[in-house]
Amino acid sequence: MNNKPSSTMNIATHAALICVVVATLFPVMWVIKMAFRPEQTFATGLNPFPTTFSLQNFTDLFAEPFFWAQLGNSFIVAGVTTVAGVFLACTSAYALSRFRFPGRRAALMGFLVTQMFPGTMMMIPLYHLLDQLMLLDRVLGLVLVYSTTAIPFCVWMLKGYFDTIPQAIEESALMDGASQFTLFWRIILPLSRPAIAVTALFSFMTAWNEFILAATFMSDESAYTLPVRLQQYVGQYTAEWGHFAAGALLVSLPVMILFFVLQKHLVGGLTAGGVKG
Amino acid sequence: MSHEPRVGLWMPTVTLAFCALFGGVALDQYGTHVQDELLEWSGHRVLDTLARGEDIASVQATFDDLEVHRVLDDEKPRKHRFLWRLQTDRALDPGVSEDAELVALYLAARNGPVMRSETDYVKVARPEERTVLTAKLTRVDGMGALPLYGGTLLGLVLCLGVMLFRGPGTYSALQGGLAAFVPIAVGAGWGAHELAAHASGLATQVGALAGIAAPPVMNPTGAIGLAGLPLVLMIAFGLWTHSRASANRTAYTYLMPAAVGMGLLVLVPFVVGIALAFMRHDMGTFSWVGLDNFWQILKSEGYGLTHPLSFYFTLAVTILWTALNVALHVGIGLALALVLQRPTLRFRGVYRVLLIVPWAVPSYITALIWKGMFDKQYGMINHVFGIIGIEPVAWFNGFWTAFTANVTTNTWLGFPFMMVVCLGALQSIPRDLYEAADVDGASAWAKFRHITLPLLKPALLPAVILGSVWTFNMFNVIYLVSNGQPHHSTDILITEAYRWAFEQDRYGYAAAYSVIIFLVLLSYSLLTQRVTKAAEEAYG
Repeated sequence: MNNKPSSTMNIATHAALICVVVATLFPVMWVIKMAFRPEQTFATGLNPFPTTFSLQNFTDLFAEPFFWAQLGNSFIVAGVTTVAGVFLACTSAYALSRFRFPGRRAALMGFLVTQMFPGTMMMIPLYHLLDQLMLLDRVLGLVLVYSTTAIPFCVWMLKGYFDTIPQAIEESALMDGASQFTLFWRIILPLSRPAIAVTALFSFMTAWNEFILAATFMSDESAYTLPVRLQQYVGQYTAEWGHFAAGALLVSLPVMILFFVLQKHLVGGLTAGGVKG
Repeated sequence: MSHEPRVGLWMPTVTLAFCALFGGVALDQYGTHVQDELLEWSGHRVLDTLARGEDIASVQATFDDLEVHRVLDDEKPRKHRFLWRLQTDRALDPGVSEDAELVALYLAARNGPVMRSETDYVKVARPEERTVLTAKLTRVDGMGALPLYGGTLLGLVLCLGVMLFRGPGTYSALQGGLAAFVPIAVGAGWGAHELAAHASGLATQVGALAGIAAPPVMNPTGAIGLAGLPLVLMIAFGLWTHSRASANRTAYTYLMPAAVGMGLLVLVPFVVGIALAFMRHDMGTFSWVGLDNFWQILKSEGYGLTHPLSFYFTLAVTILWTALNVALHVGIGLALALVLQRPTLRFRGVYRVLLIVPWAVPSYITALIWKGMFDKQYGMINHVFGIIGIEPVAWFNGFWTAFTANVTTNTWLGFPFMMVVCLGALQSIPRDLYEAADVDGASAWAKFRHITLPLLKPALLPAVILGSVWTFNMFNVIYLVSNGQPHHSTDILITEAYRWAFEQDRYGYAAAYSVIIFLVLLSYSLLTQRVTKAAEEAYG
């Protein structure tokens, strides 16, 4: 760059960034601190680092009657949702990116408009629908609902990414006699791995983090997903911050790991579409 | 489109015929369903009356009432008319003589669906009098679908008219289909309403005979939903048949899985949700109230305009909430992105990773942690205040402090998304533009103002629209952090709607609230798009 920042400027920038980072990490550190503290009250003070190291909260959590069942539910729901969500988003994004057909604009707008549907409006009909399909208290019911909630955002993102792949590759493959499906499966999908990874991440997070619908549709404690149980720890009548923090740490870990593995693609994946509008 | 495939008139005719047939069958099914429900309802009521120990003779006498027989005498109920025959006869059933059996019979009838027995007989007995009242309740299948057929006919005429006027083609077929939809939907709704009105009229009659209150008008949502289904099918079928080009069919095939899923799990609940907005919920039954819910909300009935439960107060809070959050998200995100994209900055990768942490942690967890941070006694914030020498603040006791807590939490949660979007958008700005500006001796501010901002806009705008929609409907933070305290004043529209539905059981009212939320958001984004389009045109 032409105008190099002066060294005082540089120090000031770093100082400001460090302040922001501290503020950003503080609540997360608090979770870690409380998770390893053998108490249930909210930690006081200013020191965000763990002062004790006790696994009491974790062993308590593992001894909960339905903990493993709930963890299993969360994994199944999030896993299946990811697969279903990625499949649905990829196919429809491909159609929207590579074909010009009547109803295309309407479909694109439709996906956007569904983001405006208030959740409270959907909850009662969805409850009724799942009831009719005998899917209340079933993991499958949640999977169905979740895999459609993440689609609109993922479709917009993937469509943008597909748009950036030059069509020339497909045209030459088409000349060689490749079928439409081969183009999709052998060319587009492998080329958009980063964007698909980000899509998968969002699908996974949608299912892994959701608790309101899950709390509404699941009445049996063994059918809960982990978030439903976790937020009860610090609900209206209880305040078991230690157990909550331990559970929160366990729940956050898989997402954090996925996030950091994929964060490089995040920037590209998210904005490829946005830039083209 | 280079060329439009030409379409014959047979298509709308076939689809609309299909639509009418399907809708008619659906409405008939619905009529049967309503009648079943009513039969069950009146069966229970009659039994209840008897069980209360009221004079059985009088109950029997009322069933001899002329009104009922007049219906019975009508031997051949006309078609297209919803009729309900109620036949009673008093008889001592020889098979039922033991008291215990009578009681068991009564209980069975009381607890089970009364009318679903094979004989359609209800036997009612009062042990002490050793009498059995056998009531035969017969259902007469009728057609409530006349208005639907009328509507469909009108729709067909309109559709053909549009197509003839506009010339054959895919789009005119679609427009014709849409034009046809309005009369069909009105017909379906009307038909369903007719059915419900007939049903409730008859129920009132029977109720009066048995000395009990009339049941609420039944809910025609199912019928409207079912009548809407053919429309969806019609559009799908129309698109399919008109896409002569095989590429279009391939496109639809790829779109199909998501479309089916979205249709079933997003569109259907959405339509049902809209229908609920026109109903009132009372102890498990819904009754049609038209626009009442909307009037109540918009007139802010029962509350002054500035009362926390008034719609306008909540709307103002929501708008303030959204504007403030989005401004903070974009401001902080953009500032950080501008700093982080400097190639000379050391550790930028580390900073970037650390700054997206709030996005990675599940929001309900951090929202609850922030709630703890704002706790009056234990919270870190008041602890810091104590160090500086400020009195501890009871954050959730005042509107502005609670609102601040919410905004702080949500800002913390939301800025990484905007930062990532900005980073991506900044990367796409060609470097040579800045170099050219440097040659011209432009100041840093001028470069930001005239290069960065205009080029960021196209990428940022969708993100801002999406971000405002998400913030507008941000349930988690409000619900978990302030939970509306104090006195529901920090509730935004979506949490308010949630409370009406799940704390007050006023599902219809809550649905109307949700419809209003949707309309506000829809008009907001349409307006934003129009404004940007206009701006784009103005700037070329």
